[in-house]
Order: sequence, then C-alpha cells, then structure tokens
Amino acid sequence: MAHAQIAIFARLAKGGDAPQRVIFGQATKLNRNMHAIRYGRTRDEIYVTNQFAQAILTFRGGANGQEPPLRIIQGPKTLLNNPGTLEIDEVNNEILVPQPASENVLVFPLTANGDVPPLRILRAGHKNGWTPARPAGGIAVDPVHNVLVIVGTVVANDNVWHTPHGDNRESLLIFDRLAQGDAKPLRVIRGPNTGMHTIRQIEIQPKGGWIVISQMTAGEIAEPEGTFVGVWSIHDQGDLPPRWKIEGKPGNGMKKPHGIALDPKHKEVVVADMRLNAILTFYFPEIF
Amino acid sequence: MKQANRLQRKFAAAALISVLAATALWVLPAGTAEGPEFATATDARGRRGTGYPQLVSVEPLPEMEADGEMCQWVPASSQTRLAALLQEQRPAASASSGSARTSVTLERPALRVIRDPFPTYSAVAVDARNNEIVLQDENLFQIMVYDRMANTPPTASLTEPKRVIRGPATQVEFNCGLYIDPKNGDIYSVSNDALRTVAVFSRNARGNVRPDRQFSVPIRSYGIAVAEASEELFLTVQAPPMVLVHHKYAQGKDKPLRVLTGNKTGLADPHGIGLDTTNGLIFVSNYGNVAEYKDGRELLRRDEDTVPGSGKFEPPSIAVYPLKASGNAPPLRTVQGPNTQLNWPSHLYVDEKHGEVYVANDGDDSILVFRVTDSGNVAPTRVLKGPKTQVQNPAGVFVDTVNDELVVANMGNHRATVYHRTAQGDTAPIRTIRAAADGLPALQIVNPGSVAYDTKRDELLVPN
Repeated sequence: MAHAQIAIFARLAKGGDAPQRVIFGQATKLNRNMHAIRYGRTRDEIYVTNQFAQAILTFRGGANGQEPPLRIIQGPKTLLNNPGTLEIDEVNNEILVPQPASENVLVFPLTANGDVPPLRILRAGHKNGWTPARPAGGIAVDPVHNVLVIVGTVVANDNVWHTPHGDNRESLLIFDRLAQGDAKPLRVIRGPNTGMHTIRQIEIQPKGGWIVISQMTAGEIAEPEGTFVGVWSIHDQGDLPPRWKIEGKPGNGMKKPHGIALDPKHKEVVVADMRLNAILTFYFPEIF
Repeated sequence: MKQANRLQRKFAAAALISVLAATALWVLPAGTAEGPEFATATDARGRRGTGYPQLVSVEPLPEMEADGEMCQWVPASSQTRLAALLQEQRPAASASSGSARTSVTLERPALRVIRDPFPTYSAVAVDARNNEIVLQDENLFQIMVYDRMANTPPTASLTEPKRVIRGPATQVEFNCGLYIDPKNGDIYSVSNDALRTVAVFSRNARGNVRPDRQFSVPIRSYGIAVAEASEELFLTVQAPPMVLVHHKYAQGKDKPLRVLTGNKTGLADPHGIGLDTTNGLIFVSNYGNVAEYKDGRELLRRDEDTVPGSGKFEPPSIAVYPLKASGNAPPLRTVQGPNTQLNWPSHLYVDEKHGEVYVANDGDDSILVFRVTDSGNVAPTRVLKGPKTQVQNPAGVFVDTVNDELVVANMGNHRATVYHRTAQGDTAPIRTIRAAADGLPALQIVNPGSVAYDTKRDELLVPN
C-alpha cells in the first residue's frame, strides 16, 4: 500500500472519526507488512516488526508522530529472517517471532535491544520430519496453560487433505510454551471441517483457553467466500469446526478479516478487515 | 389457659390496628411519607398529595445510536443463542477431537465500524490528450477519472468524477501504481498486494468491469513507468527488491524481459520509478529497508532467499541506473543524505523536457524537485511544502508538460492538488479536486494487517 502508519483510535471511535495519534515517517523505521502488533501493558510498549529490514521495533506506548523506536532488535546474531508477525509474553518477558522463511520460531527477551541472539529456537520445519506443517505467521502464547500456538502451512503431500485454495496457513499447531529445537506439537487442528485457510492474526484468551483466529480465506480473490472469525480451544485436536464463529457476510459487514485483537474488559473482539480498510468491533461474551 | 391466650392475641391485634391508624392519620395531612418539603414541591406543580404513587415527571431515555454499543436482543427460542449459552456454562475450554462437534455461528452485527467512507488518493496521472486527471483511490479500491479543469469550490462537499472503475471484477485492490497510455488513454493499474496483477482498462471503462487485459506481477509491486518508444514497461517490487521490465503489451503469465535485482543494486524497498529515455536512465526511489539475498537466484527472488540477520536500515535514496540495466547492476549514482530531505519517498516523476525529477515525499508533506544529473547529498532544487500547499502525505506526483502543471495525489486529506509546474515554497494550489467535505479527516487505513488493544489508554492500534 501507498502509506505505512500505525493509527491509534479511541476504542469507541466509529465511522470516520479521526485517530488520536499516528506513528509514521522515516524516523519510525516502520514499513508495510505489519501482520501483527502487540501492546504490553506492564512496560507500556508497542511491538511490531519490519519484515524487509529484518527487525523488531519497540515503541513507547504513547508514541506519536515521527518518533523513533525505543529499541530495535536487528543484526546477524538475531537470525531474524523476514519477520512479519510476533507475539509478546508479559508473564515470562519474552518476544516470540515465527519465521516462515527460516521455518522456525525465535524467542527473545522482551527487553532485548540491538544484535542479540535468541534465547531459544523452535525448529518447526517440515524437514525435521515430525509434522507436515511449518510455521506460517500467526502466533499466540497462553502463559496460563503454558502453550504456544502457531499457524502452520502443510507441505505438499498426497496423503493428506488439501484445501480448495491450495495449502496456505490452514493449520493450528499447539506446542508446549517452552518447546525448542525439533520439538513436536502437542496437538494439531486441521482438516476440512475446520474451514481454515489463510489464517492471519491469532490471539489467545487465556482465561478460557480460547484460540481466536481471523481467516481471510484467499488473498488472491478480492472478495472470497468462507471468511470468518473463529474460536477453538487450546485442548482441541484434529478436524474440528470452530466452537463459535462470526462469518463474513453482508449482515454484519465483515468481508476479509486480516487482524484480530481481544478486549476482555468489554468482552469485545476487534477485527481488521483488509477488503474494507476498516476496523470492526463485535460483542463476543461467549469467550470472556 | 386457652381463653387467656385467645384474649392475649385479640389485644395484640387491636394494638397493631391502632398503630396503623395513627400512622395513617399523620401521613395523609402531610401529603406524602417524604414530609412537608416534598408536599410543597408537588403542590407547586399543581398536584396534591394523595398518599398513592403519582406521575411526577417524564424524562426521555438517552437516544440509542444505531451502531452504538448495546447488546443485541435475541429471542429465547433462538437455537444459536441456546447453544451459545450451553457452551457458556463451561468454566473453560475442554478437550475435543474428531469431527462430531457442531459449530455455533453467531449472527450479530458489528457494534462499531471505523472506516473512512471517502476516497484516498494514492497515485495520479494526467491524460493531456483527453483533458482528464486520473486518480487511484486506495481506500475504496477504485479508479476515478475527473475533468482536468475540475476545481472543487470551497463550499462544495466534493467533486463528482466523470467515470469510476470499481468492483470485485475489476481486479483493482491496493491500487498504488498508475500509468496512462498517451496514445489511446488506456489505464494501467498496479495492485500492490495479494491480487498480484497489473490490470489494463480502456479509457472509457466504467463500473464493475473486467480488465481488458492483465498480467501477473509479484506481490508488493508498486511503481510503474513505460518507455513508449521501446514498448517496455517498468515496475518496482518492494521486496525482494526488484525492477521488472515487461513488454508493454504483456498479458497472463508472461515473464519479464529482464530483472534488475541483487545485493549490489542498492535497491532498498523501492517505490517510485521514472524514466529519462532521452538520456537512457531509470530513477528509483527507495525507503531504505533492505536485507541481503543469497547468490544464485538472480530472477524473481523470494523471501526465502534472504540471509538471516542481514537486515538494515539505509537512508532513503533515489538510485539511477542505465535504462537497459539488469541482473545485479549497481546504480550509476545515488541521491542520498540529510540535505536531500527525503522522508519516505513515494512515487516520482521524471520531467524529461526540463531535466527534473519530482518526488512525492510522503513522510515530510512535501514535493521535492531534483535535477536529473544530481548525485550524492544534494539539496532539492525546489521544495513545495507548507500549510497553503495542502500537501499532506503525498503518495503520487505527475508533471503535465503540455499544460505546464504539477499534480499531487495526497493520501492525507482526500485531495488532488494542482500547481504551476515550478511552484515552490508555501504556495497554494491553483485547483483542488476534493473527494470529501473540507475538514473531514483522511484515516489512511489501507491494508490493515493486524490490530491490538491498548488496555491502558482504551485505544486500538491499527497498522497498515
């Protein structure tokens, strides 16, 4: 797109309400492809990636305008490779970065800065033989149940089910939170009943152990069918449909959900819709 | 004994009745049990105390906004709601496996929607032959064609376009790049994201029409320029950074004629592209985000080809290459450094006639003008910037050498602004095409890739 930014809106903003503030410009080192963003209340910080410059950027929670990041993780020791998403774990003070290009998940200290090596690496690649899937972007941590959930893409194999759109970000892989090396997932949610294909951002509601996903279905189709916001349990396994879902349809205005955020206080799920260039908020008491 | 008890109960009942009667005698003259103050108040409003509840006043409930925050009423008989309630009774998620489980589809509208309902201009071109200005709207995914002399009066809400190309059939989405064929007015639209296409429409196309022609390009394609004499079409790709050269009339899966890519090229998140065919040069604007790529794959590199940990932030730049450059060719020269004032340089336009390069400087709300011969840490020849210019987050720029005008597509304020070609400083536009009422904010939400909730400030963080 023609303009990168982080726009910050009041939660109750609607229609064409202006953002409270906007972070943008050369000094911010922002770029397109921020396919995840996290806010950490403990340190009052904002976390995003710069995929093309292989960097993790941390901003002040109240950052505004052309304000540079507080910290930048970047350099040869980091092994960062096209990071487009991330997750933070405020309980254990960690940043987790899935890397489709390297088929791994890197874990850094939450306060890491500069050219620092990862604390641990989860090599989730298909080449290791434990699973037909590899990390594909979406990631969420549940520090209460100590699990790590990543979105996976199946590697071509005639013996497994394939989605009608071709395999792309169609699985949820559930690991022990501290898994590293060539660890196998504890559980995999995948199959035709899941309806999953081209999942983007995911988040976990630890209170109930709910995994909430945004599914855009097919990026190469302007307005694809089968888009939804769906909820699975961290205990689910196999070819299961979501417990609950809100489908993209004219009745609710949602077309192509790309990002998702949970607001437990108000029992709301916030959706970033890439076809509408809009933010939609749904009341979703079932998971809070 | 029994008689004594009976007398005792009668006495107690009589005493209770006496107390109640005395209370009633005190309350009735006072008007109400609240006392004389309230009685006075009710008398003043023309009412008398009756000892019974009365209508004191009528206060309307606060008006509910149609899309405000409220619970949706669902009939108790709704199976969906019932199932949801049954699910809700579980204290937490429990394990399931297999495929027997049914899914609960929740039928509910969004409580709130943040969306700019008006166009956001991301690129511009002038069809001087047909006297039209063509604008890319990256918010509503449409191509808008205006009369070249259109000028929105200050009191008008907006100016209506002559034609609009819009709808899912058009393959127009995240439309950043724009080129108008000077011979026939054909419109070339570059989609920047997952549609991965350049869509070509005839000049008079309108509505939800299929492109007359389209060809595949990599995701993150951005700028477009055409060398008409050689019928070569140039495209920038942000990452992996490349310049692709296609035949102008490419279609379908046609492969590029040549590719400029590699660690020596200096390409770093390239955006705009312009050609100086007189001197045989390509000009490319770079944001500066870059990583190294492994050797051995010189055509259409992929994300997987990057060297882990090699990423860096270079200063923004304008890199200059020979028109026929390909492979891992280094730039002939580069405009780069603090004097250049480059700040997220977006589209650029090369004015061959006057030997100048115009840059839409998104991050600095300015238009920078350099000489085509500039190199190194040079200051621009001219800078168009200031509150009178109405330049705000400019993404697109075009020089109309026929009419000696400069046209700017501003992402930040729903406007395309037109100036004399040599305008500089804080100069007001001579015409403005406004797509929304004056003062309405342009949200610039484009391809929102994710979202987060700031629990401290009660805010939503929305990155593009």
